[in-house]
Amino acid sequence: MSQFNQGHDTAGLQSIKLDRRQLLRAAAMSAGSLMIPMTLSGCASNVPKGSFDDSMRPNAWLEITPENRFYLTLDRVEMGQGTYTGMATILGEELDVSPERFLLNFAPVGDDYKQPEYGLQITGGSSSVSSNWQRLRRAGAEGRAMLKEAAAKVWNVDVSSVQTDNGDCIHPRTQQRLSYGELVGIAQSISLKSEPELKTQDQFKYIGKQRVRLDAHAKTFGKAVFGIDIEKEDLLFAVISRPEILGGKVGSFNDAAARQSSGVVAIFEVPRGIAVVAKSYWQARKAQEKLEINWVPGEMGLLSSADISALYQQKLADEKGSSIRDDGDWDDAVDAAADVFEATYTAPFLAHATMEPMNCTAWLTKGECHVWAPTQGPDIARALAVKESGLSHDDVHIHTTYIGGGFGRRLSQDYVAEAVSVARHVDKPVKVIWSREEDMTNDPYRPATQHQLSATFDAAGKLTGWKHKLAGPRIIDYFARDAVGAMVPTWVPQMMVNGLSKVAPGYAPDESPVEGAADLPYAIDAVDVRYVHADAGVPVSYWRSVGHSQNGFVVESFIDELAIKSKQDPAAFRRSLLSAHPRHLGVLDAVLAASQWGANKTTSTGEKIYQGVACHKSFNTYVAQVIDITADGNQFKVHRVYCATDCGLVVNPDVVQAQMEGGIIFALTAALYGEITLKDGRVQQSNFHDYKALRMDEVPEIIVEVLASNESPTGVGEPSVPPVAPALANAIYAATGKRLRSLPLRLDV
Amino acid sequence: MKFTVNGKEMSFTGDEETPLLWVIRDEFDLKGTKFGCGKGLCGACTVHLNGSAIRSCVTPVGALANLSVTTIEGIGSAEHPHPLQAAWQALNVPQCGYCQPGQLMSASALLAANPSPTDDDINTAMSGNICRCGTYPRIKKAIHLASDAMAKSVDLAVEVKA
Ligand code: FES
Ligand code: FES
Repeated sequence: MSQFNQGHDTAGLQSIKLDRRQLLRAAAMSAGSLMIPMTLSGCASNVPKGSFDDSMRPNAWLEITPENRFYLTLDRVEMGQGTYTGMATILGEELDVSPERFLLNFAPVGDDYKQPEYGLQITGGSSSVSSNWQRLRRAGAEGRAMLKEAAAKVWNVDVSSVQTDNGDCIHPRTQQRLSYGELVGIAQSISLKSEPELKTQDQFKYIGKQRVRLDAHAKTFGKAVFGIDIEKEDLLFAVISRPEILGGKVGSFNDAAARQSSGVVAIFEVPRGIAVVAKSYWQARKAQEKLEINWVPGEMGLLSSADISALYQQKLADEKGSSIRDDGDWDDAVDAAADVFEATYTAPFLAHATMEPMNCTAWLTKGECHVWAPTQGPDIARALAVKESGLSHDDVHIHTTYIGGGFGRRLSQDYVAEAVSVARHVDKPVKVIWSREEDMTNDPYRPATQHQLSATFDAAGKLTGWKHKLAGPRIIDYFARDAVGAMVPTWVPQMMVNGLSKVAPGYAPDESPVEGAADLPYAIDAVDVRYVHADAGVPVSYWRSVGHSQNGFVVESFIDELAIKSKQDPAAFRRSLLSAHPRHLGVLDAVLAASQWGANKTTSTGEKIYQGVACHKSFNTYVAQVIDITADGNQFKVHRVYCATDCGLVVNPDVVQAQMEGGIIFALTAALYGEITLKDGRVQQSNFHDYKALRMDEVPEIIVEVLASNESPTGVGEPSVPPVAPALANAIYAATGKRLRSLPLRLDV
Repeated sequence: MKFTVNGKEMSFTGDEETPLLWVIRDEFDLKGTKFGCGKGLCGACTVHLNGSAIRSCVTPVGALANLSVTTIEGIGSAEHPHPLQAAWQALNVPQCGYCQPGQLMSASALLAANPSPTDDDINTAMSGNICRCGTYPRIKKAIHLASDAMAKSVDLAVEVKA
């Protein structure tokens, strides 16, 4: 894929031949904070301290106590995607301990825990299993090898004759057992001579089989501790009034009445707005109601959705855009075409609306800063806490928690920065809680985008060219401001970090706007994909499946249009263009069979069922879906979603299944209802009555097939999202003859 | 202001307008009940008031004198789980888990009133509870599983472990 930068044709910048991931990695390396490779024990001086003095700590992920307790240090956060279960399964497999025996520690900020591809300690990109697959297996294998050597020493037998079984070493002749815990004392001082061998797939006991979800128990009894549940002695509560006008500022404010309100501890201005600190959350809210604040617009003025859409349109008309992919010759295809077909697609801003609203607890005490945050990026959180508190990295401690839904929202650390800015003003721990309304109107949104699609056909009706030109903002411009602080070494003075965070956004490449568009899999002679940078200033962020969430819709809807123009069955048409992509074909064929594609199906009450199909690869995972609907005038009902996925080797089959189901429902919510709009600078939606979420009575039947594969495991948290909207739009077309090219999908507008 | 929570008498002397949600969470330190919307729209804060499911975020504590409140901490324990809690684990229902206490409280009120609910009954009783992670299909299955187990007096907790 070719790369691009902000704006277009910026000479000099074109020479940066790095993609976002490479750039982040390069920055991390040049900054000296390169991922420390797994160290063999004996020289593991940089392994973060464990929780117990006499425990065995062969590497940053594993700790075993003499009492035979097993700890997994989870370096990816658990926000529902099943990473706790996944990591324990992988570690337990090679250590030979049942995953269910692992107790959980949430990792502190540490170089060992950086996601190697991004150079940041973040949970995103559906990457936890894929990026930890090898290193956690090595971590487990290393622990097991040391314990076996310890047992061999005790028994005075050859190490290769020692067997293991679920946390025990077994004597080769007597079958006597020593638990790992009993061996910890000796194993600690063992130096491995070579890297231990990993199991082969046929030896797996837990991978592919582990069914029990390890966090299900705590989450069923109300015992899982989320960020909002953090309790501290003398805890204070804060709420913040943030600008009602997007990008606006405090003009003036009067807090006289609010100060009289009961329980109020302090009221003051912070960079983001006016903070009210009180003894209880409710008291803070009551006092907040009495604040009089005069907001003034910022640089964006009083923006409305129509202005943004006009800006995109203008830019698409005026600018050629940067070339992202250029196969064959589009201009020749147009010249030779017997027919050129064009369509415009749009996607709106979307809020993340995580079930747990944003919150963060911070405490500045005795020269240290403690932050308890449900965060997808603890190292970025630390960088911001350092900046806000003025303390050094060593004095700032980030404690992570269970997360009540992430979907990308908690990669942005605004809520952490502002909690620390509040904590500076009080001498007790303080928890900032956002109301749902504050959460929804101050979200960094999924970008709105606009897409011009064109296709050429020759005289024989064969598809010869594809052009996709899209306009929208770059997420990295918003993300890099904060992330830079976590990428440079900790000794870089804050002033320099601040400077870097101002310039980095424009320079860092960003492939996210075009992911899912640039990698069009269909065999077409001329493919021209172009990106036009258009940014109205609305803060944006990663949202479950990122650029694929818009491009999946656009590409898989437009290819459907082309199939119909070619008078071909949409599934057969796709198949004919996918012969070079066996894994796409694999999921497509599986879903076609499961859904009885093309059969004349009716509901139990005799209504005709219409079907739509879509097939999309994201995060190296392949997903195809068929959606069954019925329609009556302007109403349609989604009956069934069939889904087939190929995500490589499956670590936890039921987690994959659950992620497919959950992603489909998340995407249906967006496809049917999702839209954040602006009017005169104000976000129009505020809570679940006007930003609706799918509810129990609207959920269709979901049938998931996970294909068997021996390829390396790939992510499952996001890839079921992109195909939903196009499969549904295609089904609506089949039922009504109406082509919906704007999200959300509404027949009645 | 006195009322019982999970069978224990509790008292609260602050502002009677304070929603029950914040009193149980921050005064009584029962953190299982969650804040999701504050407007009665999402069900994350669901508890039982004299056995019926209510939204604690819009229930002023002043209205509760002498009434009895049950929270997620009151319906079952690890040793003696509610059949729904056993079913929830058997079917790996939770994802992020944040909505689940509210889901379980709505579901347990449903089963108490209607031990063998149909799909439609479940839809009606549960559609006030949002799950952004999309665990609805499993919630529905788990309610049926618990209902069947209760009808046959099967102890799911034992079944699950076996
Ligand atoms: S928090 Fe009470 S219904 Fe949403
Ligand atoms: S499990 Fe996450 S909101 Fe329901």
